[in-house]
Amino acid sequence: MKIKLIRTGGFLPITREAETEVNLSDTQVKQLLEVIQPDRISSPVKDGHYYLLEIGTSSTSIDLEKVPAEYKALFSKLKNDLRIIK
Amino acid sequence: MLAKLMESDNKKVADMAVNTNFRSYRFRNDRIFFQKASLRDKKILGLIAKQTGIDVMQMEVYDCKQKTDLAGAALLWDTKNNQKITSLAGKNVIKGGKASWDFYRQLFGRNSIDNKGLLIKQYVHYDKGMDNAYWDGRRMVYGDGDGTVFTSFTNDIDVIGHELTHGVTENEANLNYENQAGALNESFSDIFGIMIKQRFNNQDVKKSNWLIGEKVLIGPKYALRSLKAPGTAYINHPELGSDPQPATMDKYQNLPNTNSGDWGGVHINSGIPNFAFYVAAYNMGGFAWDKAGRIWYAVLIDKSFLQNANFVDVKNLTIVHAEKLYGINSREAIAVKQGWAEAKV
Repeated sequence: MKIKLIRTGGFLPITREAETEVNLSDTQVKQLLEVIQPDRISSPVKDGHYYLLEIGTSSTSIDLEKVPAEYKALFSKLKNDLRIIK
Repeated sequence: MLAKLMESDNKKVADMAVNTNFRSYRFRNDRIFFQKASLRDKKILGLIAKQTGIDVMQMEVYDCKQKTDLAGAALLWDTKNNQKITSLAGKNVIKGGKASWDFYRQLFGRNSIDNKGLLIKQYVHYDKGMDNAYWDGRRMVYGDGDGTVFTSFTNDIDVIGHELTHGVTENEANLNYENQAGALNESFSDIFGIMIKQRFNNQDVKKSNWLIGEKVLIGPKYALRSLKAPGTAYINHPELGSDPQPATMDKYQNLPNTNSGDWGGVHINSGIPNFAFYVAAYNMGGFAWDKAGRIWYAVLIDKSFLQNANFVDVKNLTIVHAEKLYGINSREAIAVKQGWAEAKV
């Protein structure tokens, strides 16, 4: 399946995206999304970046700091590949 | 006219007229009082911040070594030890942090971000090629930029002043980070950021180009934002397209209050109050921080400045404070009104 990492926000609010093909089962995806769910925040970080993971037609807010060890390389690659979307 | 309305049979009209009459009495009396008030009286009333805590700048600079673990960052420099450093980003934030601290202390008597001598913490080389700078509620964090579109976010003193001002705002009006209040939050950071740079470079309103982040965005024709002409900081940039900021209220952008909608366009619609400030400061002449900056700072620390304030609230408050500080029909009060009129607020 195709997954897309989307980064929004920042001092200059621009969107960057990167996508890749992964071989994950629905259960694995569900578990991953549960683990990388961001904490509820009372107020957004001023000028902060935000990450979303798009799988199929749905996108979910994620916290990259929570990515489990087995997925680190995947997300690191996606992060390095982020390209500006006009 | 008002007296007639106060006696109206229509309860709504009468209520409104009584309230208006009451407010104008209050403002008239306030103005008379503040025109006569001594410096000491103004200090007691909080118009000039009290000196509290340790009255010397305290700062620590950390090196994240291109990682995202702030807790694991290494201390690079602090005011106590004044270490010799080679990191340009480190040197930049020390210079910018000092300029910002001096700006608030020397002009407004403010003792650091919280007015209680808060230790300023700055983190450089955050993440690999991160094209951003942010205030996380406790500290300022800067990335090195991707090297193709952006350089280090420490390269412009106005960006450093912008981030530090987010801390000041959080300790004062604590404006919500969404919609118009969020755009005002961003605007106060841009306004004080540009004034910190202008003061550091000894530039008056005519000499300044009013650009934020002109070194951060690579290319001689580009900057991150323009207070003088919002929407022109970058035009037809090969990667970014064109600056989306409006300068006037009729071009206000209604964006979704989500992370991808920039929380209702806080970095977009900030162009409107930014432009109002630019026009006001330009029409006052001289150095922006002398008069316009004093008015905007008085608003920022005004206890009636609410978290969910909108552009009209700030327009009214800046007029009230301009008249309090410089008098009704003063050049400064007129310039403030002209600023908001030009921005069509």
